Amino acid sequence: MAADFRRGRLTPLGWAALVIGAALMLAPLTWAVLLSLKDNAALVGHSEAALHGPYTLDNYVAIFGNSLTTRWLLNSTIVALGQTAGVLILASLAGYGFARLDFPFRRTLFVIVLIGLAVPSQAVILPQHELFAWLHLHNSYPGLILPGLIAPFGVFFMTTYMRGIPRELDEAAMLDGASRWTTFWKVILPLTVPAQSTLAVFTFLGAWNDYWWPLISATRSDMYTLTVGLAAAQMNYAQTSGLGYLMAQAVFASIPIFIVYIIFQKQIVRAMAGTAV
Amino acid sequence: MASLELKGVRKSFGSTLILEDVSLTLDAREFVAFLGPSGSGKSTLLRIIAGLETADAGEVWLESFRIDPLPPGERGVAMVFQHYALYPHMSVRENMAFGLRNARVPKDEIERRIADAARVLEIEPLLDRKPGEMSGGQRQRVAIGRALVKEPKLFLLDEPLSNLDAALRLRTRVELAQLKQRVDAAVIMVTHDQAEAMTLADRIVVINDRTIQQVGPPMEIYNRPANVFVAQFVGSPAMTLVPAQLAENGDYATLKIGDGTVVETRVPRDRLPPSAHFRLGLRPEAVRVVGSGEATSKAKVELVERLGERTLVYARLGDGQPITAEDQRDSRLKIGDEIALRIDGAAAHVFDADGAGYHRTGA
Repeated sequence: MAADFRRGRLTPLGWAALVIGAALMLAPLTWAVLLSLKDNAALVGHSEAALHGPYTLDNYVAIFGNSLTTRWLLNSTIVALGQTAGVLILASLAGYGFARLDFPFRRTLFVIVLIGLAVPSQAVILPQHELFAWLHLHNSYPGLILPGLIAPFGVFFMTTYMRGIPRELDEAAMLDGASRWTTFWKVILPLTVPAQSTLAVFTFLGAWNDYWWPLISATRSDMYTLTVGLAAAQMNYAQTSGLGYLMAQAVFASIPIFIVYIIFQKQIVRAMAGTAV
Repeated sequence: MASLELKGVRKSFGSTLILEDVSLTLDAREFVAFLGPSGSGKSTLLRIIAGLETADAGEVWLESFRIDPLPPGERGVAMVFQHYALYPHMSVRENMAFGLRNARVPKDEIERRIADAARVLEIEPLLDRKPGEMSGGQRQRVAIGRALVKEPKLFLLDEPLSNLDAALRLRTRVELAQLKQRVDAAVIMVTHDQAEAMTLADRIVVINDRTIQQVGPPMEIYNRPANVFVAQFVGSPAMTLVPAQLAENGDYATLKIGDGTVVETRVPRDRLPPSAHFRLGLRPEAVRVVGSGEATSKAKVELVERLGERTLVYARLGDGQPITAEDQRDSRLKIGDEIALRIDGAAAHVFDADGAGYHRTGA
């Protein structure tokens, strides 16, 4: 037993701390799922009723009772995938440029990118809104996707990662007669897959969970993303009743995130541990 | 016909001059080693030939074509990098095919060349593996294979053995020597290891301090070093340099060193510049530990190195001048012993105040 702990490099106390930590993290999630499976009336004044049956899927049926829910799901998917693809393309190209190409004002431009990391989105929301209104991009997919493509973190992340790839590989490719594009596409880009998957996961999660910009940009209900749509459908701003329905919405909105996490667990853990760069 | 010709190559990084007016001609199928210490500019010169650096001035010609305006992939050169630079995400086969595909070589020709190179280098079982699944020695072979399949006019090897352990280095050195016989191209190898240069190269180009110090066959470099730098850089342990004064008139230079020892060299006196002050260059094999009857000098032992086939004795002459001597393989000397030395004047070299070397005639 002690040997097992040694292999895992954890003391019994460490294990106990981990188990308690995991239980604390799982408790609210479990609570939310249980609440979502209860009849709303049964929970009025007695939320502890979630601990025992009977359970029902009525709240989930009610979500799909709204004819726009699938549309919001589709919108969220398009926006999250669009932003993810866009950020990966732009950050990879910009990262390669900053890491490998020599051009005027390279350092200055990179500093400007880094400054972008420090500017909160709230600070630019008004001019951004004005700009998109002027361009007639509100209530459109480009309108929802484009602001998310301004990704200074992605550019910084990919630049740092590409700087870590030995220059000898570029030189070997040059001697192998590869053009700059071939070198980027066939030699450097495939080596950034770990960084790309990490960046993809973060971008997707960020885009999926984004509430504020879609709330401002999408004013037509058919252009809502899932977060905005579900919030709008609540009609229960005090959240004093319909607790089961509220939790069913939260659980439903989390399912895609949960799936992404299951698929990309390795990349997320690595990114959290800070070893991807 | 000359294979490679460098004409007045000059290179600086910012205000630091790295290479100054370097000119050199390589014969067809010649194996040349660029030998020099770290920072001497030898790798920069190799990279200029490869096209990975641009010279500030000068020209590079390969088989009668000026190649310095061409991009690296169009120069007809192949390079083996110090750290191999294999593409980690590609299999060995893909690594070897990459350059050929870029050159639009037909598919069946690519397959044939890869198969031939894999057979010669004995890497056939590795063709579907990725670099991360191979040992250092195997990667080295693949890197050579990747260069080989391109059938270049010139091979460039950048410190190809420096990442291998001692045993593998010796084996790969032999393999490189065999490879040299097989390829129909000139080879340039950059190294700071004189043993590699001495054993592999037809000619050695000693580079230091921005310029070529000497070009010649290995034994000429060893026996007739052009200057103090070459004399001390080539040969292990380094040649001992002893301040000396010209002692007597005669056909050959006779020099007197600090402890009073007079050494009659075989260096023609009329070749020396008009000066009284020189340095006597003595390799360990020119200074033997002898019985007192044959001695020319006396010294005190400071360190004894038993190398198996010979024993090196680091000692000090009476005036405190350090000197390295050779003793029999079963030497019983120990630190602090007083020893008698015989300096073989016929094997001695003379260097003037500017460091230029003078040697016996005919050696």
